[in-house]
Amino acid sequence: MAKAELKTKHKTEIEDSSSLKGTLASVFLLGFFIIITWVSVYYLFVERF
Amino acid sequence: MVNSAVSKIKVDPRDAKLSMAHFYVAFIALALGGLMGLLQTLVRSGKYELPGGIGYYQILTVHGVMMGLVLTTFFIMGFQYAAVSRTAGTHSNAARRTGWIGFWTMTAGTAMAATMVLLNKASVLYTFYAPLQAHWIFYLGLTLVVVGSWIDGAAQIMTYAKWRKNNPGKPSPLLSFMAVINTVLWIVATLGVAATVLFQLLPWSLGLVDTVDVLVSRTLFWYFGHPLVYFWLLPAYMCWYTIIPKIIGGKIFSDSLARLSFILFLLFSIPVGFHHQLTEPGIDPAWKFFQVVLTFMVVIPSLMTAFSLFATFERYGRSKGATGLFGWFKVLPWGDARFTVPFIGMASFIPAGAGGIINASNQMDQVVHNTIWITGHFHLTAATSVVLTFFGISYWLIPHLTGRKLTKAMNKLGIIQGWVWFIGMVFMSGAMHFEGLLGGPRRSAFSTYGGAKQAAEWIPYQIAQAVGGSILFLGIILVLIIFINLAFFAPKGEEEFPVGEAENPQESAPMVFENWKLWLGITAALILFAYTIPFIDIIQNAPPGSKGFKTW
Ligand code: HEM
Ligand SMILES: [Cu+2]
Repeated sequence: MAKAELKTKHKTEIEDSSSLKGTLASVFLLGFFIIITWVSVYYLFVERF
Repeated sequence: MVNSAVSKIKVDPRDAKLSMAHFYVAFIALALGGLMGLLQTLVRSGKYELPGGIGYYQILTVHGVMMGLVLTTFFIMGFQYAAVSRTAGTHSNAARRTGWIGFWTMTAGTAMAATMVLLNKASVLYTFYAPLQAHWIFYLGLTLVVVGSWIDGAAQIMTYAKWRKNNPGKPSPLLSFMAVINTVLWIVATLGVAATVLFQLLPWSLGLVDTVDVLVSRTLFWYFGHPLVYFWLLPAYMCWYTIIPKIIGGKIFSDSLARLSFILFLLFSIPVGFHHQLTEPGIDPAWKFFQVVLTFMVVIPSLMTAFSLFATFERYGRSKGATGLFGWFKVLPWGDARFTVPFIGMASFIPAGAGGIINASNQMDQVVHNTIWITGHFHLTAATSVVLTFFGISYWLIPHLTGRKLTKAMNKLGIIQGWVWFIGMVFMSGAMHFEGLLGGPRRSAFSTYGGAKQAAEWIPYQIAQAVGGSILFLGIILVLIIFINLAFFAPKGEEEFPVGEAENPQESAPMVFENWKLWLGITAALILFAYTIPFIDIIQNAPPGSKGFKTW
């Protein structure tokens, strides 16, 4: 039973195991986060000073 | 497997004893400092007053000194001493004796300084800014802590030098190399604080001179103060770069990249102290700007670290069959406290680092300077990223050193501890950040500021900090329970000291990384360039010195 189920869900598409695209996406997200927080405080600065 | 023999290597019991001695002091400091932290948040909520006329600034001094100076320095020295013993070989008797002398010197100094603070003779906060004047025994105690740490650090350097001599032409073990970089960073940095304490504060508190040059002493303090935070951070990076990969069953992404980032930290973390003095008069703005530029150079090794950690995790995940953009994230060993607790620390470094970039942005510092935002910031960097990593290290290192095992129950408690800390810190540090943006001051007991409308806006955030502080205190109790269990009660056994291997072991690190003349030369050149002219300026245009003040 279980075996049959496993087989049907088996993926045929093969991903390169040395791919680092998740890392690339992560550092981009990190960069966006830094920019967003920085710009928000920058707006506070511009309003106040 | 070839490397299973390597991973069984144990720290020699004689070295283990010295490491453990450091950890006892560190965890006593954590207990004492943690209680003070809780009290601070309660006082600041406005709902609680300290009994017996105890002053807020006295407990704040205890907290800052215990957490920021004692816990960190003792833990780091104990950890690095063990890490060098594990990777470069057992310390010689001479090195071990040196280590013990350093340890006892530091401990004696700590006892002296702590006694004066507890007697209310030194409520000068952990930065001991002049013209606040403490009892001279406090300053003498600090001197002994610094000198003791130099002797302690010398033990690591001796063993590293011995390894280099026995293995000519080979790059040293990564963990030992990193420990020595951090020790060298510490020695160069503490020269500044030693100078102000020995030549200014000690003679002045003894009454040998009447006045002190405030700006000179603050400048020397911050020459030390910024590299101090990197001295805290680099041992956490040692764990993230070299130990975490082994724990998850992966590989170090790149040995050379790790070494390069440590060297960049050595170069760029010292000539940047002015970024703590941006609002201070008496320093030429051009030189402030120059040091701000150098400050931003530290972004480079920080992002290199982030990249390399993501890469380690993704490589590991994909080797386990994870697919998709973020599939690797799910297969990480979330049930292992040795991984999860430091991981929470790493994740906290993302908002912590973003906040740091804001602080360092010359003009924007005016928005956050001396507000409780700053306190929120370093409770993410030091009090989460760094200490959670230290706790995560303790969970295997303490049993490794005491010949015990991290049991399933303690592993589980460790994971709970990490999440409790995280939740407490979201409340406390989060509320501190927002209150700071509304102008709420740091280093301040509760006050309504004469019923000011703006001050009323801060109170809800202060209550949220008390909630967070209470949760964090629970986290501290859990850490202490685990520490005592692992040190004295856990079942006997063998706990691994994990040390990762590089993905491409045949690709050895370039020997230029071990060229200390080169790196110390560049470090010195950058420091001299960044500080000489402004320092001459500060001294030549100095206002009259200040007499001492005791505000408590
Ligand atoms: C139970 C956990 C903790 C709580 C509730 C707590 C709470 C606080 C609070 C409320 C303040 C600011 C008070 C003020 O500015 O008036 C503070 C300051 C500080 N905390 Fe913590 N903290 C905790 C843990 C830590 C840890 C683990 C570290 C370091 C590794 C740390 C280091 C510091 C330092 C250096 C200061 C600055 C003291 C000063 O401004 O003179 N804290 N803490
Ligand atoms: Cu700094």
